[in-house]
Amino acid sequence: MIDIELRVNGTEVRCPVPDETLLVEFLRQNLRLTGTHVGCDTTQCGACTVNLNGVAVKSCTILAAQASGGSVVTIEGLAGKDNMHPVQRAFVQCHGLQCGFCTPGMIMAIDFYLRQPPALDDASICHALEGNICRCTGYVNIIEAVRHAAREMYPELRAAVVEGSAS
Amino acid sequence: MIGQALPRLEDRRFVAGLGNYTDDINVDGQLYAAFLRSPHAHAVLRSIDISAAAAAPGVVAVLLGPDYVAAGFQGINHVPNPADAVAHAQAAFLHSSTGLILNQPHLPLPIDKVRYVGEAIAMVVANSLLQARNAAELIEVDYAPLDAVVHGADALEPDAPQVWDSAPNNLCFQTQIGDREAAQRILAAAHHVVRREFHHSRIVNCQMEPRAAIGEYDADTGEYTLISGSQGAVRQKVGLAAALQVPLEKVRVVCPDTGGGFGPRSFMYVEQLAVVWAARHVGRPVKWTSDRSDAFLCDYQGRDAIIRSAIGFDPDGHILAIDNEWIGNVGAHTVSYVPMSNGTRIMTSVYHVPVAAVHVSAVLTNTVPTAPYRGAGRPEATHVIERMLDLAAKDLNIERAEIRRRNLVRHDMLPYRSPMGLTYDSGDFARNMERVLELADWEGFAARREEARTRGRLRGIGLANYIESPVGAPRERIEMTVLPEGVIDLVSGTQSTGQGHETTFAQVVATQLGVAPQAVRLRTGDTAFVSVGGGSHSDRTMRLGGMLLVEASAQIIEKGRRVAAVLLESPCDAIEFAQGQYLDRPSQRSASLFEVALHVAHNGMPGEPSTRTLCAVAEFNGRIPAHPTGAAVCELEIDPDTGCVVLVNYSSVDDVGQPINPLIVEGQVHGGLAQGIGQALSEGCYVDRSSGQVLTGSYMDYGMPRAAVMPPLRIELTEDPTHGNPLRVKGGGESGITPATATIFNALADALRGLGREVSSDASGEELEMPATPRVIWEYINRAGRNSHAD
Repeated sequence: MIDIELRVNGTEVRCPVPDETLLVEFLRQNLRLTGTHVGCDTTQCGACTVNLNGVAVKSCTILAAQASGGSVVTIEGLAGKDNMHPVQRAFVQCHGLQCGFCTPGMIMAIDFYLRQPPALDDASICHALEGNICRCTGYVNIIEAVRHAAREMYPELRAAVVEGSAS
Repeated sequence: MIGQALPRLEDRRFVAGLGNYTDDINVDGQLYAAFLRSPHAHAVLRSIDISAAAAAPGVVAVLLGPDYVAAGFQGINHVPNPADAVAHAQAAFLHSSTGLILNQPHLPLPIDKVRYVGEAIAMVVANSLLQARNAAELIEVDYAPLDAVVHGADALEPDAPQVWDSAPNNLCFQTQIGDREAAQRILAAAHHVVRREFHHSRIVNCQMEPRAAIGEYDADTGEYTLISGSQGAVRQKVGLAAALQVPLEKVRVVCPDTGGGFGPRSFMYVEQLAVVWAARHVGRPVKWTSDRSDAFLCDYQGRDAIIRSAIGFDPDGHILAIDNEWIGNVGAHTVSYVPMSNGTRIMTSVYHVPVAAVHVSAVLTNTVPTAPYRGAGRPEATHVIERMLDLAAKDLNIERAEIRRRNLVRHDMLPYRSPMGLTYDSGDFARNMERVLELADWEGFAARREEARTRGRLRGIGLANYIESPVGAPRERIEMTVLPEGVIDLVSGTQSTGQGHETTFAQVVATQLGVAPQAVRLRTGDTAFVSVGGGSHSDRTMRLGGMLLVEASAQIIEKGRRVAAVLLESPCDAIEFAQGQYLDRPSQRSASLFEVALHVAHNGMPGEPSTRTLCAVAEFNGRIPAHPTGAAVCELEIDPDTGCVVLVNYSSVDDVGQPINPLIVEGQVHGGLAQGIGQALSEGCYVDRSSGQVLTGSYMDYGMPRAAVMPPLRIELTEDPTHGNPLRVKGGGESGITPATATIFNALADALRGLGREVSSDASGEELEMPATPRVIWEYINRAGRNSHAD
């Protein structure tokens, strides 16, 4: 067993877990934060994406022990209570989700992409989404949601003509 | 409200991470299950030694197939032979030349042999998941491996390994539909006959939520509960009760949020049955969650058919007759014959075909069972006829759109009865095709091909028309209750796996009753309160559910009018209903629907004082005409040096009927299209043809479409109204996928014409392998050496 000390969505948690516990297992089973999903076992699908120390990581591919001492934001902590993060709002507005299973991981990956003023052409957005799989949407409206959120977060991007964007 | 692109009402909880999927649920006292799965595609189970596993730390039980049978339980009855597309009270397939239409009970764990790689053999129940998994590895199985057969055509060979003794020659059934003699007579005399064999590759469902199931048993009441995501709770309940040999009321199925369906999750899985059995056996709840590696081995898969087509033409390119042969690979268990029933019914598509016949063979193989996968037979049938038309166009030197024009069922021919027995009631097929040609600038393509050639790229364009059939479970039910606190409570027998029912149902009811959509509350997916319904598949939800919402709303309005007459002290026929209000125009007095419901709660219905709710029930069992239809064009480029394909753009015109919510309909088109692109270009489920070993066992090997897959889209919704249901719904869930592989393969063949030789243009020609990965295309290009494209 190993003691995990972690700041999760702004709250300090401390909990002993078996050494082999993955971060995603720690979040889902020990903390019951079930918004972070497990969609595969080969680090391909991105449904488990969370933010660790400012960086989007796949929480199925890191031990809770490796994250210990750090700060994690999950989908549940992305926005304040009763609020929505601009990326969450954009997903609703643009119909960027259907079954919703990949959505938390998508949103956490996009949140990271948008932490700096982003490039909004198709190729750059698709590159940012390379590590996240969706089976329902065909990605069209997810890509649109990235642009929608970016323009809300960075007013200077609103006027920009986007080259290579899907018509 | 209907027709408005309303953002979905259910999304707020999903984007906040508050979705509630099966694995998010934990039940007090639950144990964890793990399954030992077969490493062999076909083997006799000579003996199984569970002693080490049973003695391992934390293990509560180790269960085998014979334990299940000894307890008196039955295998799953999947009812593989579906309700007919026209005569819904009878099965789709009624005759078999073998005298057999196989419905093999599907035991949760086998008792004699394993029949595919990944088949569950033993179930370990332990205090933790890790303990269960570790113990499963301690089970010693003595296998006697047998030869395996995985390919549909191989299974029909005389000396093929036999999957089930109960099905000689691996035939579940074999049947002839239509007058084959007549078709062959016409082909023998036809000016030109095109013959081609098509292999529709196998698809892994890949819904993003790995399957999960929690079983519970109450020893005091004898009641079983299954908590598990699926496409329909009622079907699961019926299946479980039959397998467990208990009355329906002893089984409750709870279906929480479900992370994608696409067809295969309509059917029961062995793990769902096993957890409730195990819960009874150990006296505690049992939970199982699949990992993705399991999913690649044992989630029911899609497609996998061989279709041999022969079409005869006159010199002007008119179709004279079709004679097809359809070999459907059922896999190792008889889960579903739906793809064959759907696909054969629709195989003449939107074209006027005087005579058509199809010979169907449903074959068993040592592979994962197949099930309907989005489109379920219709994309396969569409692919075949659309490729055949392109081949004929080339042979007869007729432009590809023109040969279609000459064969389309004209609007003035409606209602049109196809030779396969469907009656098309609506659909302007010619207008749809002309519009998509315009959207795609079909006429201007030659210049774009030439421009691409200067860049060393092979550019091609492909066209396909499509139509679908109104099938699926024929029975559906809506219960509607007006609650005085301002809520319209709905109970529906169909349920969402991502289609946004909470929103579209609310839009329909809000329109009918004049209330806010936020006032509508939809409850689904729990047989504690859902009694009847077929789940979501085959575009049936809004077609049947929408009609019932209209009917139930009308009942509510009329019942409420009787109450309003009392409240407003006016005769019934003087009271108008609009915008959620009953109005007595002479007195200008009014009462809202919810005030009326409150009155009923306090005083009962007029003349029925014991009826204290304003409620309605609408139920339907049957078929209504509704044929989603449309046309699509794909334009693409091939890099001849690498075989890589880039989709340059994609246009489609889709007649889904009246769209309840265009935002959601377009989302459905996008998603279906992505799956079609995946099947055409990347999603190969490769299984070794001799050993049956699965070669694509993870997202690292299987070509799932990623964000860059989608080309720029031009999607237009159109409507030639159906009068078969009050909302004029046809269905949008399968629009994107149905023509997708056809347009892409037609475009690939067109692009490869740039090499100076034809794809499958001569009598011995073969189709490009599906999926047409860069390897497939590169090998095609290089088979005959580098060519004129390099100039």
